[in-house]
Amino acid sequence: MNAVLLPILPPLIAALAVLLLRRGSAVLALAGATLNLAGSLWLIARVVDVQTETLLLPGLPDMPLRLVAGPMTSLLTVAVATVATFVLIYAVGYMKRESGQARFYAVMSLFLAAMQALVLAGDWILLLASWELISLCSYLLIGFWFQRPEAANAATRAFLYTRSADLGLYVAIFILIGSAGTSEIAASLEADAGAPTIAGLLLLLAAMGKSAQVPLQDWLMRAMAGPTPVSALLHSATLVAAGAILLIRSAPLLTPEALFAVGIVGGITTVAAGVIALAERDLKRVLAASTASQYGLMLIAVGAGVPLAALLHLLAHAAIKSTLFLAAGDFQHAREGTGFDQLKGVGRARPWSFGGFALAAMALAGIPPLSGFFSKDAVIAAALSAPGAVLLGALALVGTLLTGAYMARALRVLWQGSGDTRPVEGTGWMRAGIWGLAIPAAVLGLAFGPLEKMLDLAAPETAGIVVIVLGLVAALGGLALGWLVPAQRLLGPAHQWAESGLVVAGGLTAWVGRPAMAVAGGCNRLENHLYAAALGIGDAALSIARGGERLEKRLYQDVLGVGRANLAVGRWVRGGDERGIDGLIFALVAAVQALGARARSLQSGMIHHSLAISAVAIAVLFVVILFSASLSF
Amino acid sequence: MLPLVSLTLFLPLVGAVLILCLPKPTARTVHGIAIVSAALTLVGALAMWLQGVSGDGFSQVEELEWMPVIGAAYRVGVDGISLPLVLLSAVLFLVSLIYASSLRDRPRAYVALILLLETTAIGTFTALDGILFYVFFEVSLVSMYFMIAGWGHEDRQRAALMFFIYTLLGSLPLLLAILGLYLGSPDPTFDMRAWIANPPLEGAVAMWALIAMLITFAVKIPAIPLHTWLPAAHVQAPTVGSVILAGIMLKFGTYGLVRFALQMTPDAFREAGIVVLFFGVVSAIYGAFAALAQTDLKRLVAYTSVNHMGYVIVGVAAAALTLDPAIRATALDGAVLQMFSHGLVTGALFLLVGMIQERTHTREMGEFGGLLKTVPLLGWFFVLAAFASLGLPGLAHFPAEFQIFLATLGTAPIAVIVILGIAIIAGTFLKALREIFLGEPRDRWNRMPDLSPREILAVAPLLVLTVATGVAPSWVLDVIHRTTSALVL
Repeated sequence: MNAVLLPILPPLIAALAVLLLRRGSAVLALAGATLNLAGSLWLIARVVDVQTETLLLPGLPDMPLRLVAGPMTSLLTVAVATVATFVLIYAVGYMKRESGQARFYAVMSLFLAAMQALVLAGDWILLLASWELISLCSYLLIGFWFQRPEAANAATRAFLYTRSADLGLYVAIFILIGSAGTSEIAASLEADAGAPTIAGLLLLLAAMGKSAQVPLQDWLMRAMAGPTPVSALLHSATLVAAGAILLIRSAPLLTPEALFAVGIVGGITTVAAGVIALAERDLKRVLAASTASQYGLMLIAVGAGVPLAALLHLLAHAAIKSTLFLAAGDFQHAREGTGFDQLKGVGRARPWSFGGFALAAMALAGIPPLSGFFSKDAVIAAALSAPGAVLLGALALVGTLLTGAYMARALRVLWQGSGDTRPVEGTGWMRAGIWGLAIPAAVLGLAFGPLEKMLDLAAPETAGIVVIVLGLVAALGGLALGWLVPAQRLLGPAHQWAESGLVVAGGLTAWVGRPAMAVAGGCNRLENHLYAAALGIGDAALSIARGGERLEKRLYQDVLGVGRANLAVGRWVRGGDERGIDGLIFALVAAVQALGARARSLQSGMIHHSLAISAVAIAVLFVVILFSASLSF
Repeated sequence: MLPLVSLTLFLPLVGAVLILCLPKPTARTVHGIAIVSAALTLVGALAMWLQGVSGDGFSQVEELEWMPVIGAAYRVGVDGISLPLVLLSAVLFLVSLIYASSLRDRPRAYVALILLLETTAIGTFTALDGILFYVFFEVSLVSMYFMIAGWGHEDRQRAALMFFIYTLLGSLPLLLAILGLYLGSPDPTFDMRAWIANPPLEGAVAMWALIAMLITFAVKIPAIPLHTWLPAAHVQAPTVGSVILAGIMLKFGTYGLVRFALQMTPDAFREAGIVVLFFGVVSAIYGAFAALAQTDLKRLVAYTSVNHMGYVIVGVAAAALTLDPAIRATALDGAVLQMFSHGLVTGALFLLVGMIQERTHTREMGEFGGLLKTVPLLGWFFVLAAFASLGLPGLAHFPAEFQIFLATLGTAPIAVIVILGIAIIAGTFLKALREIFLGEPRDRWNRMPDLSPREILAVAPLLVLTVATGVAPSWVLDVIHRTTSALVL
């Protein structure tokens, strides 16, 4: 078997097995994920030797599906597999009391397989297919508790936002296939002519949907209605990561204009989402906004022309954010919710989880020697080396400052105050999951050197002392501000706006949703008129038929009249004792009467019967024709 | 060598005649005979599939002399465009008869009509003679009329009449076009192969013939603004009627668009292609918006058909417009696969809607809620069909729509705005799923039974094929592509 299938097949088989067997689903899913992790490691070991592994699968005519593992993509499979495995370990504990286990583990496994296919996709069609499949899985997982209205709405919203943005990916892919003449991604990346700017902008649109960049950030906050392991997986290594992965992989084909747009979108998002995170009063929603903000930083790095920095931050963020979510899920079980008022002082009661959370929070803020310190410095260095250094650099630094502030604020809530803590089932599994990811979140930075060498990408200029100092000042300043100054004071008049999610004039719902429904309503009104008019045709036909019926009735009366007249004649004739004629006339009368009745029953006013006759006539004709044809043969 | 095509074509008719000839058969016997003859028809279609098609022209041609004086003959055969539609017909009619096998209200006439319809459907797709095609095309109308009028819902007679008159008038122009093609042929014949090999009409005459065909097929497909019969007919039709109407009969229009308009008047079509493209785009987007606004589930599905058929029109128009044979093959691959996929997916959706309606006696989406909890199997089947209909990868519509859009961008880039339709349809179905299946279950529907074995047997094959076509479209596309890649216009 080709090594490139190793990360994809095990979870796919696990998903099918869970669906078919409907028992032991956690074990099957875990086995799938573990094998997938082993397969990813095997794959990366092979790729270090042979550079690329390729597999062709049948697809569309002249456009086969390709799986290609290069150094970067196989590294990403390891990241995805690691996060997924520990999240599933955690889920064994977290989901213990839930019904619908088979559904949960089947979809999680499918999700994992689809994400690995996306990472390893070597052609645009397979990439698009897995891109949409992870949207489906997210829909099913966010809506796991589908009876709750907020979960049902959140799932619907998540799918619609990302699907709408996906149109960008569709059209970009059509342009790229059209200009390269093949659906192979490598061909598009190597094309000399380069892709038009519009293709880059469309790719950006698709990435904005998935990576929840402003103004498409809203769905991500609401997606918190799903189970926490789902959030952990969505935010760190799968759905949201897909957007950044797309841009990192397609960075070589982006024109300077497109790169600039990517950087600006990322810069605006990192600040805006950071502000939203600072104003939030629910831990999971803080983390969600933080995700958008961190992906904004990655987009800055891509926009600055250093996708490697974005990739490093993606890896660090994957470990960090999954740790944070998993710990938040533990607090959620302990306190029946994730509102700040509910979570006061929960950290003291759940020290293991709090330890993991705090370590990851420090890493995200960018404190050395944790992973986030290195990756964030790479991003800042990239931003400062870019053409729009002043703008991008400033935005990246503000983003870093905000990261420190909202993490400190969350830590303070978790540590100070007190509340009633309930015993939590499945703590062992959950602890294993949290620490399995917290450790890489801490130490991953040390591996960045060798990784850069393996990836063989244009390395960013080494972070100079200026960058290190700027980054550290921003991080520490943010932490201090967040711990010491209440968010209301920090944000001033912007606080309320930030609390509502920085919605501009009603947000996308007002700008896209309502107009779409209005157009639909207009079409529907028009349709109703047309429908009425069309039914009029049926009515007209019916009234013609009724007219025919009236005519028919009159004819019948006439026939009867003739009959009666005949009868009278008959009586008169009988009076004349002429038996023979009498019999004849009686027969005639009976015949006419029967004919009238016959006509009436056939054409009883319902045009259907006339139609029936003509249809039967056609059918008979048809059969006769066919018979004559076969006879002539 | 068995005459496979003719056997497949007339097996259902034999079944129908048998049912009508039996003295007082029980309902069980009637349904049994019907299902057996439809199953044998499917076997025939599969045998045809195994025989396959050659790239060049038509395969498996069977010919009998009929009216040699006027050059009409019994000629049937298939190519990569018609063979998938024959298979689709055989599958859809079989599952429809399985679904209908619980019917106790005049079952004899009902299944006889269905079987007659099956013969006319397969006949329409396999006919290679102008007259024969027209006869099949028209007789199908009669059977559908009786199905709606006799077994439809509350307002059936009005709807049935409207359907009949609308489509009957609609098909008259095609007759004129066929006569035009006949008279224009150098050696007068009704042989469609001759018309395709050497399109007999030129210039203004060809344009008039094309316009006549376009009117007929636009009514059948249906394209905006000639679609108004569709929602009425669907809403009033019995479930099986809707399945066949949407799954098979709409394809008469798109099939005719390819077989007649594109292949017999190619130059005129190229000239008018941009207009056809425009109508396709408008149909797709308008249909999507109209679907989004519906509250009646069955009308919603009916309007998504307008949308999906709009994509087929776009694909065929792109094939007519482009000069690049590779793009033309892609466009036609997509268009033909879209017909096939739409038959499977919409067939499944209408069956599921029928199952819901049978249980609840309503189609208003606002009255449901939380049904996924109450009837999980029905719910998940519906979720799968809905996602297939909104074009999710891995399910049947994706490869078709992908190729159509790809070819459209390569031909008339601006027309790619038609892709907005897939976002609107996504909204339509997610809204429907949200209202019907998600949320808190209502007490009213607590005792609703889940799918019976009969219902599973009816809908599951369609879903299996939907997944198979989505995951590995090459099993269908190989057949289609063999013809479309060799097509010379």
